[in-house]
Amino acid sequence: MFGLPLAFAAPAVLVALVALGALYYFLRVTPPRPRQVVFPPLRLLLGLDDKETTPAKTPWPLLLLRLAIAAAVVLAMAGPIWNAAKTAIGRDGALLVVFDDGWASAPSWDRRIAVAREAMSAATRAGRLAALAPISQGGLDVMPLDAANFESKLSALAPVPYAPPREAALAPIGRFLAHDPNAEILWIADGLELGGAAGFATKLKALAEGHAIAVAAEGATPIAIAGVESLPGALKARLTRADSNARAEGVARALDAQGRVIGQTPFQFGARLTTDASFDLPVELRNEIARLVVADEPAAGATWLIDERWRRRRVAIVSGASADIAQPLLSPNYYVRRALAPYADIREAHGEVSDPILALLAEKPSALVLADMSVPPGPTRDKLNEFVDSGGVLVRFAGTRLAAGDDDLIPTALRRGGRTLGGALSWETPKHIAPFEDPSPFVGLAAPDEVTVTRQVLAEPEPGLAAKTWARLADGTPLVTAERRGKGMIVLFHVTADTTWSNLPISGLFVEMLRRIIAEAGAAPAAPAGSVAKTAQTLPPWRTLDGFGVLGAPPANAQPIPDGFAGIGEATHLPGFYGAADSLVAVNAMAPGEALAAADYAGLPLRAGGLAVAPPIDLKPWLLLAALVGFLIDALASLWLARPQSFVRRPAALLIALALFAGLAGVDRARAQPAAALDQDMKAALETHLGYIATGDADVDETSRLGLSTLAKVLDRRTSAAVAEPIALDPARDELAFYPLIYWPIVAGRPQPPSLAVARITAYMKNGGTVIFDTRDALNSRPGGASTPETVWLRTLLAGVDVPLLEPIPRDHVVTKTFYLLDSFVGRTDMGQTWIEALPPPDPNDRAPRPARAGDSVSPIIITSNDLAGAWALDANGSPLHPLVPGGPRQRELAWRGGVNLVMYALTGNYKADQVHAKDLLERLSH
Amino acid sequence: MATAPAPSSRLREQAATLAARLPSLVVAARRIAQSVMHGVHGRRQAGPGETFWQFRPFVSGEPAARVDWRRSARENHAFVREREWEAAHTLWLWFDRSASMAFGSELAASTKLDRAAVLTLALADLAVRGGERVGLLGLSRPIAARGIIDRFAEILAASELVDRAAPSQLPPVAPIAARSKVVLIGDFLSPGDEVARSFAAIGSNGAEGQVLMICDPLEETFPFAGHTEFLAPADVARLRAPRAQNLRAAYLARLAAQREAVRSASARQGWDFALHRTDESAAAALLSLHARLSERGPANLAWGT
Repeated sequence: MFGLPLAFAAPAVLVALVALGALYYFLRVTPPRPRQVVFPPLRLLLGLDDKETTPAKTPWPLLLLRLAIAAAVVLAMAGPIWNAAKTAIGRDGALLVVFDDGWASAPSWDRRIAVAREAMSAATRAGRLAALAPISQGGLDVMPLDAANFESKLSALAPVPYAPPREAALAPIGRFLAHDPNAEILWIADGLELGGAAGFATKLKALAEGHAIAVAAEGATPIAIAGVESLPGALKARLTRADSNARAEGVARALDAQGRVIGQTPFQFGARLTTDASFDLPVELRNEIARLVVADEPAAGATWLIDERWRRRRVAIVSGASADIAQPLLSPNYYVRRALAPYADIREAHGEVSDPILALLAEKPSALVLADMSVPPGPTRDKLNEFVDSGGVLVRFAGTRLAAGDDDLIPTALRRGGRTLGGALSWETPKHIAPFEDPSPFVGLAAPDEVTVTRQVLAEPEPGLAAKTWARLADGTPLVTAERRGKGMIVLFHVTADTTWSNLPISGLFVEMLRRIIAEAGAAPAAPAGSVAKTAQTLPPWRTLDGFGVLGAPPANAQPIPDGFAGIGEATHLPGFYGAADSLVAVNAMAPGEALAAADYAGLPLRAGGLAVAPPIDLKPWLLLAALVGFLIDALASLWLARPQSFVRRPAALLIALALFAGLAGVDRARAQPAAALDQDMKAALETHLGYIATGDADVDETSRLGLSTLAKVLDRRTSAAVAEPIALDPARDELAFYPLIYWPIVAGRPQPPSLAVARITAYMKNGGTVIFDTRDALNSRPGGASTPETVWLRTLLAGVDVPLLEPIPRDHVVTKTFYLLDSFVGRTDMGQTWIEALPPPDPNDRAPRPARAGDSVSPIIITSNDLAGAWALDANGSPLHPLVPGGPRQRELAWRGGVNLVMYALTGNYKADQVHAKDLLERLSH
Repeated sequence: MATAPAPSSRLREQAATLAARLPSLVVAARRIAQSVMHGVHGRRQAGPGETFWQFRPFVSGEPAARVDWRRSARENHAFVREREWEAAHTLWLWFDRSASMAFGSELAASTKLDRAAVLTLALADLAVRGGERVGLLGLSRPIAARGIIDRFAEILAASELVDRAAPSQLPPVAPIAARSKVVLIGDFLSPGDEVARSFAAIGSNGAEGQVLMICDPLEETFPFAGHTEFLAPADVARLRAPRAQNLRAAYLARLAAQREAVRSASARQGWDFALHRTDESAAAALLSLHARLSERGPANLAWGT
């Protein structure tokens, strides 16, 4: 209105502003209240007649003030709203909010909801309905809703962790628009092409012919992680963005399975649309990484889940020489295991497994090391072939068994029998390793001189042998050969994995060579072939991401993925971890290498300001407040005009001024209250205080305060517990965590505490606090008689609390022994029963004499009816506040002792129960 | 608005608490009386306890028994030992305790009532020290006790407690004996003929008198303007003036006429008339009152010299 972001809920009321003119006239002709003066010589005046009767005019500032008050009231009644959302003028159809709720909307979710709510309230003010069409619910029909239903639907909305296809939403939207030709459309778009924005926009434009339509989109598009590469030195994440409007720099974080940050690295896009973020972490840490996230980008697309594919390889080792395990240094497994352990997850066959190869292959290793073992034809060899074809790396070591065997799982044909170098019957000396040449992955490793080979199996010379050779001896004979087969490869060391044929396995080179081979295994991801997928079973969802990139339990409609699923997250299978907890498969929201593109809205008009909506401010209460303040000021001014001399003596003036200031002070006090609570918490945290619940009954509260205060003094005098003054607590307002013990006298007439307070008491008791409920009704209650009002009150209170099983305090309970040796807990009365959490029954096998028993923790609840605080309390002069029944100084002393024991119990728990064994323990230690 | 009591009732209440304020008034009265004594008499200690006053020459025709032979024996003349005014003159005091007297504006230091009470008590003290018997007109018989201020304060307080009726604006109509003196203090805002009748009744036996008319500066200056409502302190009479400033000239004329009426009423009795404004000092008023009483008095009323 008038170019201001101001709208009125009831503009018709503004007509009343016309009446201000009339008001002006009346105010002008109505004189102000005359000043009243007492004038003793009034008699002298009485006869005098003033000819002039025109009354004095109302002073203009007062006139203006009164007009302003009236105007404020009229404006307030018109329901002014600042920053009201604008809707299409002249439309009276429903408002259709098309809501992009893919993961790309998650970073600006709150603002999107605010825009939708804003649009809805604008429509409601105009008397129109609103409809919500979330893109992810494309299959559902769109219904016009009233404000409450729209609000409930809107607040139930959450971003989905995938990019829902927008086309599906077109049909319901079309039906809705056909039904309501006056409808207005607001598309709150996420700004990404993901999900088919361009096509959707084109079709929506065609559908919305004749309808008002606007697109609200944010300028800044989100950042996503599109793929992670597991490089030998680092884990490299590929970050991508749709356009240069997105953030240009930030921090990527690596989180472990518990969500703890274990590494972070900055990234910068510069002018590009993609960039890399490398996590250079020790392998141990790197293996802990469960997901990568972009900081301050809470979206499923900016979260990359890491599973085994990006982890350290799993390497299975099988040796033919299983008999030598008793002497590990003779076992080839030993050297391979030692070499690979820092870089790979080693699996070995244990126990009596009929076929170790099959058993280990079932664990889905990425590499299988066969040390001097020949594979006989049969299911094992078939499985191995399948393993290599589907991307596995088979590393074999030569040896007598291999040389004797006959299988085709070797990269090159071998000659029968090996050769021995430098043996007793040979003139040749042991050979050194030649420097590595280019096709070999070992290029760059130094071939140390001390590595010598005394025996090897020889490759049959054949064409292409040189290309298959990764390492050779100084005389050119191949030492390591490899061949790609299917998606995997076979690597053969022409020497054994132990030191019988060469000292290679005990050199550093061996470690490096194996490491590079394992890295080769990572280069070809284990993607099973179609034949495998057919037979594979499905993996159930374990944890799934929500739209904000938070892992949680999968929703009920989450479906399992087939084994070997390689796609991205969708509505049916959300991004997340699938499978069993120890071999999880990650499904991500983005495909590796996928690029983001900015959405093209096909010429649909963009809403000005995007998602930046100032929240609407309802000016009505403020205007009414201004009118009230104005009215008070007017009253003060009128009083002053009428009687300026004695203005300050007027009680009315004082009252008005008080009302003004009390109002202002009230605001201040309301603000100051949290600070006061914080103060009390600070105090409570610094010292140990006993707490009592302020019931609102002044007598009882004073008794509680004095009782606990006296008890604190008794504790101070007799024990080493330093307990400060007690603090009155309101369970609904105060933090209870600081108090080891809370005394709660029950007053039957008081209202029950609110459910919030009950919940907090429950939490306090669950977290180790102790509450003493004192019904103080031992005199009134009869065993087996009707419940006293206090008991009923307590029962009502505890209905909402998780109360453990209770029992009367047994004589051997630790609470009777924590400081004094007591039989019972007395207060003002001594006949009431005291209840405490039931102890577990004594162990029948335990023959040791146990004078005290205790549970694992302190009882969260103690219920008594003896009015403990009433017996403890001494007034300022040190004289007792209440008489005792039956009475006597000994009863008061016993009451204090009981209090000391209770506090000690709350502070030390079952310590005394353990301490009775101290003698035995010391005796046992001394022998 | 409803919380403010009607001003007239409030004034009545103040007037009723004269008893409560008496202690401070008593102190003020003592102080003023003391300052007058000191100012005029120095530290003369002669008091009414002295029976001897003076010797005067014997006048022939006097009873011979009056001759003081011891004194006369020293000279050739016969002397009469004149005792100190044994039949002391009576001074009657009265001040207006009506509601209109309880008025005091911001311009004045005290209310008219307080000022009248202070002057009355101080005058009583001075008179008693000078050997007079002093009575409160309508309240007490003449007394010559030393603690006259306290006595009178008690009497005033008691009368307020006992007599709840509003005190009259004019002195009680009771003829005062000849040669007695009467001092009337009040604002005398009653109609002129009533005042004259009252004065005439008091002075019918030939008492001598002083009239002190007290007024508040507000009453004299009439500084009102604008829409004003005038209230009587004691009753419900009220006057609403749309423009109070228009009334000023006429009011001042009437005020002057009223004073003239009071003055002429007192002059008719041969009494002195004086005007006192409550923003002036009470001591000055007491001094001048005291001086006028002394100079008009007979020779043996010598407590002023």
